[in-house]
Amino acid sequence: MNERRSQPLLLTLVLAVGLAACGPSADDTAASSGGGGAADEPVTLSAIMEEVPDTDIVLQLIEDFEADHENITIEVEALPFDQMRDRIITSALAPEPTYDIIVVDNPWMTDFANGDYLLPLDDYIEGTDGYDHDDFAEPLREIGVVDGTTYGVPFYNYALSLIYRSDVIDEAPSDIEEYRQLVADISAEDDLAGLAMQPQRGYKIFEEWANWLYAYGGSLTDDSGNVTLDSPEARRALEAYIETYEAAAPEGSLGWGFDEALRAVAGGGAASMISYNWMLPTLNNPDGDAGDLAGSFEVAEVPGGKAALGSWSWAIAGNSGHPDAAWEFISWLTSPEIDKQRVIAGGAPTRMSVLSDEEVWEQGYGQHYYETVGAILEDAEPLASGPNAEEVIEVVGTHLNAAIAGDESVDQAISRAAAEAETAFGQSSGG
Amino acid sequence: MTGEQGHRRTSGGDASTRLGRLLVLPLLAVLGAVLIYPVMFTARVSLQDYRLNALDRVEFIGLEHYASLLSNATFTTALRNTAVFVVVAVTLELVLGLALALAVQRLGRPRDVVRSLLLMPMFVTPIAVGLVFRFLLNQQLGLIPPLLDVFGLRINFFGPDLALLSLAMIDVWQWTPLMFLMMVAGLESLPQAPFEAARVDGASTWFTFRRVTLPLLRPAIIIAVMIRMLDALRVFEYVFAITRGGPGQATETIQYLIYRVGFQFFRLGEASAMAYVLVGIVLTLVGVLVWLTRREASA
Repeated sequence: MNERRSQPLLLTLVLAVGLAACGPSADDTAASSGGGGAADEPVTLSAIMEEVPDTDIVLQLIEDFEADHENITIEVEALPFDQMRDRIITSALAPEPTYDIIVVDNPWMTDFANGDYLLPLDDYIEGTDGYDHDDFAEPLREIGVVDGTTYGVPFYNYALSLIYRSDVIDEAPSDIEEYRQLVADISAEDDLAGLAMQPQRGYKIFEEWANWLYAYGGSLTDDSGNVTLDSPEARRALEAYIETYEAAAPEGSLGWGFDEALRAVAGGGAASMISYNWMLPTLNNPDGDAGDLAGSFEVAEVPGGKAALGSWSWAIAGNSGHPDAAWEFISWLTSPEIDKQRVIAGGAPTRMSVLSDEEVWEQGYGQHYYETVGAILEDAEPLASGPNAEEVIEVVGTHLNAAIAGDESVDQAISRAAAEAETAFGQSSGG
Repeated sequence: MTGEQGHRRTSGGDASTRLGRLLVLPLLAVLGAVLIYPVMFTARVSLQDYRLNALDRVEFIGLEHYASLLSNATFTTALRNTAVFVVVAVTLELVLGLALALAVQRLGRPRDVVRSLLLMPMFVTPIAVGLVFRFLLNQQLGLIPPLLDVFGLRINFFGPDLALLSLAMIDVWQWTPLMFLMMVAGLESLPQAPFEAARVDGASTWFTFRRVTLPLLRPAIIIAVMIRMLDALRVFEYVFAITRGGPGQATETIQYLIYRVGFQFFRLGEASAMAYVLVGIVLTLVGVLVWLTRREASA
């Protein structure tokens, strides 16, 4: 009776919901109403950033910005790295965006640009007096460019460098074979490992090994974007990396990533590591993790001279309702004057003028540090750029780790990594 | 049909049935939105070349994803890793949980305190457990290796040979309490008569356990194993926090692979197909276990 009639009704409801899911999808990313409003309307911008010290410095500067620009308020959501990408994608696909301002990690740049998650910035840049876009270090500037259009301007660099204990190592070797011998010698005699490595599967091992690849004359891609990984140089670089792991890295560190390596070095368990150049001020901070060892660290270019580079850029969400206000903030923060303040406060540099500014040397971390960073940035390259860069990095990193774990031979690992990188780049979302 | 067990249908009965249905509607709506829609959406996406960074170029490709999974070595390795993890972890959890339940049963006054203490690992969030163990077992930085050193043991916990087993041990640490809880509930619901009879007949402890306790507990064990197995099949946090699927592919579980393919590589169509294959496997396992339970009940 009643029951028998309501059962089909309920079933129909369930099916209806199910079929709705199977039907054509609603239009995505309906951009919210038009361009930014007049500069005088009160505007609240929301930004997503990473939970890192550079963000804390920006938060301080935001207070100054809001004092100068009374109509604009900025709310920052700072998240751990692993959560950010998913949040950005969700915001970009939603009809109402969560974020107006996005920081973009360099492997994401092409995919986000191709997915229309980001606004082109060329007109904004040209229309801003005194911005001096060319002042940014070239590799950092280029990271924000996809197919000739600029989508991001540099926020901070994380170029890799050699961080080492100056009380253990007198002079940082500039030759990779010298470095390998040095760390093996240190590991053989002391209770100290010569270096802390980061062979964790995926991103981390590739980030570290890329420096070795460059040191042996190899590369992931050539200037036209063709994959050049399958080479004798790459094989030599991987063999050397594995040999050094066995001879000099801390025992059982096959799965180590950044956290373990940092703690090993800060805790006096390892004499050097290849890591981000701004780890130097962090390690030398007397109130920091290194405790008694603070002050005994130095930075140098990676052996071989060419470093892998990462960088975060500022971008405006494609579906933001306030692009003009967003650009007002971004251009203010990254302008030569304010960027100098940011770097003096401890931010990682992006502008060549700031790197060679004597005031910055005095009030920041000293001439040597900034000159070294300048030297690093002159010859640094992002891990991978182009469509599906993230996947390429993961895929190469999987095979590198398989080789060091003994699952694959060096030859297998390099040839498979190259083949899968090609596929990943080729099955592109872009044109 | 006599309807509601022979009751006469009064108007009050009709109204309360209607009210009941009305009150259930919000729940159904929520279930629909949160469960049915995503499930059907994923089914649809699994039949498409659906990439999160190319949403304007979605193509229908039928069962192509499913077909390619048959020859996808990464996928089969992930399934195998997951199977090993589940078998090792759930078996150990069952054995330990049951042993603990039996032991605690004999305690007098301390029983409640001991029970509460034993349950604690369950309440820690899994990703925190993963991170803590990552550093606890770290050769250079952790607390455990120096302790093992005292006994002359050097164990490379997250090396290629032991990584998957180490993750299974972490699962055992965290979830044995759940097994323990379910076994305690099972034991407390057992009738006393068979045990008294066994005691009167002079049966040994082991005999009692094998011939009285275990058979009576079997339905509870099956349910407990099913619950834990379904959970263990979805292991992700420990892999993400500690090994990222490495070294090599030693700890890549199916859930982690789905995450990698779907959210790191943006290939949501392929990931959805993997998810549905997992659903198929799980439903089969559940079917087998339910059949076993039915057989128990009718025996």
